[in-house]
Amino acid sequence: MECRAIINSLSDYLDGADSRMPDNEAHSIETHLANCPTCRNLKLELSEIKTAARELPLHTPPRAMWTRIANAIEAEGATENAPARPARNSSGWWESLKSRRFTFSLPQLAGLGAVTVALIVAGISGMFGTNPPTLNLTGAQTALLPEEGEIKADLERRLAAINARKAKWDPQTRAEFEQHLAKIEESLKRLRQALESNPQDAVHQQMVRALYNEKRQLLEDIERLKW
Amino acid sequence: MSLVITATLTHSTGAQTFNRTFSVAPETSELEVVNQVGTIKVTPAAAAGKIVIIARQLDGDTKIDATQNAQGKVKVEVTGRGTVDFEITVPPSSNLDLLCYKGAITVTNLGGSVRARITDGNIQFTGLRSPRVEAHSTKGNVSFSGEVLPSGSYTLKSFSGRVDATLPANADFKLSAASYRGGMDLGGFQMKFEKQTDQLVEASHGAGRASVYLWTQEGSIHLHRKP
Repeated sequence: MECRAIINSLSDYLDGADSRMPDNEAHSIETHLANCPTCRNLKLELSEIKTAARELPLHTPPRAMWTRIANAIEAEGATENAPARPARNSSGWWESLKSRRFTFSLPQLAGLGAVTVALIVAGISGMFGTNPPTLNLTGAQTALLPEEGEIKADLERRLAAINARKAKWDPQTRAEFEQHLAKIEESLKRLRQALESNPQDAVHQQMVRALYNEKRQLLEDIERLKW
Repeated sequence: MSLVITATLTHSTGAQTFNRTFSVAPETSELEVVNQVGTIKVTPAAAAGKIVIIARQLDGDTKIDATQNAQGKVKVEVTGRGTVDFEITVPPSSNLDLLCYKGAITVTNLGGSVRARITDGNIQFTGLRSPRVEAHSTKGNVSFSGEVLPSGSYTLKSFSGRVDATLPANADFKLSAASYRGGMDLGGFQMKFEKQTDQLVEASHGAGRASVYLWTQEGSIHLHRKP
């Protein structure tokens, strides 16, 4: 398969059993991913976005919010169109917008979904006067080291295996592990920011590598301890 | 074919004691210990060709398995939750691989390769004459004092703790030391610097044959001269 075909099918592939993708197509994608670092990175980034989206708290917008949005659109449409257009019927263009039928392609729907999530997050944070939740999308960052994609893929695999077992741990152990991991992540984030401002800085490159090793070591230990 | 030896337990003052002795080849003996919580102390054996393991199970619900494989390597592994303190004696040239999640690891007066890893706790190596040393703590201090053998490799790392290395004044070694936040004290060694910043030092002392790598992200690094 070509990269273009992979990109079009990656979202379905990541949906797993829900996507009803034929086994042979899934196998072709896996074969391609094994040999194409670019698509592998894309897959990693997409799966991190999906994971992050899943972890967003679920909020139901109040019914009044939709009314306010409808009113705002209605008012804006009326102001902009008043001099140029003939008077509309009493139902208004919000009503005609609602009655119209639209069809979207899957990529358009995915984009629409992402915009909707962003709008809801922005709307909710605006309503409550808080900052929007910070998402840890390290996989979506630009690689600062040549081998960074491979490193992240390895760490992601190890972490996924540990996360699958973590529910069985006692709460204290889980909290301690997450604290260790968070501290390493925090340092990594700080150093990556420093490296972003000067990507050729060999000292920061070395330190970022050391922190990736630290994270890998922690995950390896947990695997060895058979938790 | 491996020999599986079940724990021998005795009860004394509320704690259970595990005792096991293995016959090994003195020059090529190998020991691996995986502990969950507690201490691991390893010292030279009085009797040649024996690895003696004494463990006190202080609390919790733990199980200790001790096995020796066909090549003579001894592996001791703790499973379950609880504290176990080990006191182990080995032939002086034994190769060690020690892992503990929380507690402390100390190794004294041995001459084989030593690898120790702890997530939460200190590692202390004293009086070693080892060709290869690796000590790595995530949250704890790491200290080493001993000989530096020609072509030896000495790696001491801690994410948030202090790293101390006490080396003979006449040792020949190539140093790579990095501390992102805690600073470095190189202890008066007259070195030839190849790279020197506040956070990273690459230098050599004498003929620079052995490799010494010291790293800490949050802690400090201290190099000491042993007269």
